[in-house]
Order: sequence, then structure tokens, then C-alpha cells
Amino acid sequence: MRNFWLLARHEYRKLVSKRSFLVGTLGFPLIIMMVMAAGIFIAIRGDQNTPIGYVDNAGLINTAVVPQTDEDETLLPLRPFPNETAARQALTDQEIQVYFVIPADYRRTLQLDAYYWQDDPSSTVVSDFNAYLRANLASDYPASIRTRLVEGPDLVVRSADGSREFNSRNIFSFFIPFIAAFFFIFVVMSSSGYLLQVVTDEKENRTVEIMITTVSPGQLIGGKALGLLAVSLTQVVIWVLAGVVAVFIGSFFIEALRFISVPWSLLLVVIFFFVPAYAFIAGIMTAIGSAVTELTQAQQIAGILNLLFLLPFFFTALFLANPNSPILVFLTLFPTTSFITVMMRWGMSTVPLWQLALSWLILVGSAMLSVWVAARIFHTGMLRYGQSLSLKEALTAVRSRS
Amino acid sequence: MSTVSVSSVRKNFGRVTAVKDVSFEVFPGEIFGLLGPNGAGKTTTIRMMLDIFEPDGGEISVFNGRIDEAKKKRIGYMPEERGLYKDLQLEQTLVFLGTLKGLAENDAKARLEGWLKRLDLYDHRQKKIQELSKGMQQKAQLIATLLHEPDLIVVDEPFSGLDPVNTRLVKDIIEEQREAGKTIIMSTHQMYQVEALCNRIVLISNGRTVLYGEVSQIKREFSGNAIVLEGQGDFSNVPGVLEARRQNGAWHLALNSSVNPQQVFRHLAQQDGLQIERFEIAEPSLDDIFVRVVQEGKEAEEVRYA
Repeated sequence: MRNFWLLARHEYRKLVSKRSFLVGTLGFPLIIMMVMAAGIFIAIRGDQNTPIGYVDNAGLINTAVVPQTDEDETLLPLRPFPNETAARQALTDQEIQVYFVIPADYRRTLQLDAYYWQDDPSSTVVSDFNAYLRANLASDYPASIRTRLVEGPDLVVRSADGSREFNSRNIFSFFIPFIAAFFFIFVVMSSSGYLLQVVTDEKENRTVEIMITTVSPGQLIGGKALGLLAVSLTQVVIWVLAGVVAVFIGSFFIEALRFISVPWSLLLVVIFFFVPAYAFIAGIMTAIGSAVTELTQAQQIAGILNLLFLLPFFFTALFLANPNSPILVFLTLFPTTSFITVMMRWGMSTVPLWQLALSWLILVGSAMLSVWVAARIFHTGMLRYGQSLSLKEALTAVRSRS
Repeated sequence: MSTVSVSSVRKNFGRVTAVKDVSFEVFPGEIFGLLGPNGAGKTTTIRMMLDIFEPDGGEISVFNGRIDEAKKKRIGYMPEERGLYKDLQLEQTLVFLGTLKGLAENDAKARLEGWLKRLDLYDHRQKKIQELSKGMQQKAQLIATLLHEPDLIVVDEPFSGLDPVNTRLVKDIIEEQREAGKTIIMSTHQMYQVEALCNRIVLISNGRTVLYGEVSQIKREFSGNAIVLEGQGDFSNVPGVLEARRQNGAWHLALNSSVNPQQVFRHLAQQDGLQIERFEIAEPSLDDIFVRVVQEGKEAEEVRYA
């Protein structure tokens, strides 16, 4: 057991000390920060205090009527103009960023025009003017009805068993299972990709014979697989932490980020599916790495197999439209796609228990088979220096004793 | 009591039989030569001995029983197909391999310093393996084999890639290990090294043990089957001679076991184009014995399958 941990520690240290790891690990949070900064910049730019102009031909807006806002929220100021010529002049002089023309028949047509120069009016401009308009249109109603009319419906959709809900105010939460699925498939695939490299390195470096007369093949591959998994998890933890910090900072500027809630029940899927999914793909990569002679050759084969694991992402539209479609049920049960499909369906629907149980059993069975086959092929293929195993030889290796 | 006992082992790979019937024993304090032509089954035998392959038949005992994880720590193995992690530093690699063999990290570092200094690698310890010359890598490999002070040392072609100075150094180290009571199994094609180092040998040909015993005894048994000649003319095509080679102006002829020196002498004396100046029955070198046994074995196989 000591050697198992030594191997895991060795692989972890070896990879983490590489410059490429630091660049890859820190580069991603930097990109997130930059994207977030750009979002905040756009949000701030929209909040610039230049007034919104309007020409009210319908006599609709009374400047005394002010929409209700949160304590820390302020609306852009409104500036009325008697006619379009005056408004246009103010726009030319950059006294206003946009002006709206409310036609005389607005109550019948519900159409109005917005005039601006180059930059589209930001979402803040549109929502603020909408707020003024609604407040004025509803000003004749009692306060309770007026508030409901101005704020619109607060829609909450719950699953029949109450286990999941979708709230129109926390739209980002809706995508968390998708994002989590992306991160976990990244962990599984990058760790197994490292494993593929490590196994072919052992073969190319001719170190395997020394290693397997020192440790058992199970310790060798298991220790390395654990070390590499730890490397990928380290990366993801750093990225998730960076994401949490970015969301925290961004929530001061972007309202929707304040309502993000994590569906913690998703952790159950991770707890049950992550280890067998990793073991399954790690076994496949070990077998490929043992059977071929060079890393490039191994990567070509693995690249094709990777598509089988990424398949659910090609059906994203179907997850949104019909998360219980027969295709997605099939992907839930199929071992290469089950982990990710279950995660992605988790945010959209209630996955029936029988599907979860069957999917897990198939995945665990496949993982055990994969590891067993990998051990056989490793045993034969790793000592075939400079020679690949043919499919027939691989099958013979699987059937042979050792 | 023997350290290693191999008894009638057999190993097939699909339809190919790599080892048919190999037996030998190796004892503490000896250097044992495991010899044979390419493809004879030496590496497969070593791999069965070290539990890399499971034999299809026969029995193997290491340290008086089946090999296990604890026994693996008492073995130092330098395989023929060898290498180290190219992108790692020398010191880091050797310490890692030492710890896998049961050494504490500090002990491994302390022992390593002595070895690196002795083998002129100390100044290169921070270099990556790929930056070292082939000879240096070979010496590093020897350190990896011996760092944990194994009781059984298995070295396959330990001198390949070494210059004469380093060959001498490695030879000295192997002899030291023997003097320290270690069991050493050495596989090599360099017969003069076997003659210089090995107490006993086994010769495997076509997957079978064809020769087994003490080097001096084997040489005595084969004396009379080699002659040294000096004279005028070409002595390379003499009937009953398996191999003829020129060395320091003299001809060394390895004879087929069915031919004796007198018959060869009579034949040569009758040849007009040849003039004999010296005719001497020589103690054959291991090289001669190797060639003779292997060639005779091949001929026998050919007869068997004809």
C-alpha cells in the first residue's frame, strides 16, 4: 500500500511542478476574470448616468410617477422633449444617450420608436425606460396591483416531487448542472488523458519492467491514476474557487448573479457516478496506452473514443426541449455517457429511480470489465517494446492466463 | 540452500513455445551466467523467475518459495530493455526508485550520494536523464539496481554501452557484490566476461537447458574439441570444424563432437596446399563451447523436424 501512495504522490508532484500545469491552471481563471471584467464593464457602461430622452405624444408619462426600486438601485434620469427636433439636437450634443418617441396612438398599438447614434441602447436603458412606462401605465391601479404589473410575474417551476425548482429570477442556477457536467467531464478526460500519456511514457522509456518487478501492476496503474486524478481535481478546485470569487464580485454589478443557488442534490450523482466513470475511462486509456508504441498513435485512438464520452453535449438542445426523450434515456444507460447525461438531465427533469439504478449498475459493471481487460492487455502489451498489439493479439491477451 | 530454483519450466505465447524445459539453481555468493543465443528463452526465463510471467509448467522458487511483494524488495533487476524517466532529474529518479524498494527517502539520498560519487555521476545529479550520455544512463541504471542492497541481483547485459574503464568499474562492483554474499544472475553475450566472472553457467538454446554446471568443469569436458594451428594456407574449410577464426596469427578451430584432433591432423597433413607449423589441443573458450553446443543443438532440431 505504501508504494501505491508513493506512486500517486510521485505522479502528482511530477505534473504539478511542470510549467505547463501552472499556465493551464492559472490561465483559465484569468480568462474567467477577463470575461467577468468585460461583463462588468458593459454593465457599468450601461449604467452611465446620461439621461434617457423621450417625446411623449400620447401624454402618458407623468414625471411625478417614479417606479419602485430596490434600496441600492437607481434608475437613469428621464428628460422630456416637446418634439423630435429638440430631442435629436440633444442626442447630437450627447446630452442624452437615446430618445424614445411615444406615438399618440400608443395605447392602441403599443409600439414606440427609439433613436440613437452608433451604440445600441444597453439593456439597462431599455429596462429603466420600461419601468417608467409601466409605472405610468399602471398608475391608476391600486398599489398592490401596480407593483405586480410593474415587476411582472415571479415564476417558479417545481418538479412534481418538489426535489427541483426553476425560478425565473435565478436563470444561472438552471445552467449549473451543465457547467458541473462540463467540469467533471474535464476532470475525467484530462486525468485519463494524462494516464494515457504516462502509460505510453512507461513503455517508451522502457521503465515498465523495472516497475513491475517492484510493484504490482495494480499498484502501478492505480497509484498513477490516483495521482493524476488529484492533479485534475486540483485544477478544477482552483477554477471553481476562481469562479466563485468572480461570481461574488460580479454580483455587485450584475443582478442575476445574486440569485444563483447550487442544486446540492447534484452531489449525489457525483458521489455515485464519478469514481466508476473515471475507472471506466482510465481502464480504456491504460489498455490503449499498453497496446500501442507511441503517444501520438494512442492519442489518435483515444480521440475517437473521447467523442463517445462527449456525446451528451451534442444533444444540448434536446436536453432543453425534451429531457426525457428516448435518446437521452439511452444515453443515461450507456456507460460512456451515463455520468454526464444524468448530470445534465438533473437540472431539467426528474430522472426516474429505475434509470438511475440501472445506469449506475451498467457503469460499475463496465468499469470493472474495463479495468480487468486493461490489466490483461497491460501485462502483455507493456513488454512489447516497439511493437503494437493487433486486435487479435489483444483478444488473445485478454483470454490468456498471463 | 539455493536462492533461486528453476525446475523444468515451460512457457507458451499462443502457439509459440518460448521456453520448453529449463532448469537450474543459483546459490548465495556466486555469479551465475545465464547464457544463450538470441531468442533462446533467457529473457522469458528471467521474467518467469521475477513473476512477470506465470509459467505454464514447472516450478520456480525464489528465496525458498513463491515470489511476493516483500521478496520483490530483496531483488535488484537490470533488464535488457531498460530506461529511466527521461524528463526527470537523475537524483529524483533514483531516490524515487529506492523508496519504492522500501528505503526511507533520507536513507535513499544518503546511500545515493556514495554511489553517484563512485560512478562519477555526482556532478550530474541535478540533470535530467535525457541530458546524460548513454554510458551515464547505464551507470544510473546499475545504481537503481543496487541502491536498496538487494540479496538477489539479476543483470541482463550489464556491460552494454560502457567504455573499457566503466566496464572494469562495473565488473569490480559485481565482484564486490559476490564477495558480500549476494546472489548474482548475469545474462550476457560477452563470453570473456562470463569466463572472468561466473562460477557456474546455464546455456539455454531453443528453450531448453543444453549445458549446465561449473565453468571450469565444462571447459575440461570440452577440451579436445578445440585446436590451435599455425602454418601456411587457409584452414577455414576443414571437415568436422564448426568454427574457424584467426586470432593473433593463429587459427582457432572448434571441432564437432564426432571428430577428434587426430582425425583433423591426419586430414590436414594430407593436404598439399597446407603447411602446419604448430598444432595444439586447446582448452576451448566459452565462446567455442557456446558456438558448438548451439550449432549442434540446431542441427539436432533440424534433423528432428526433417
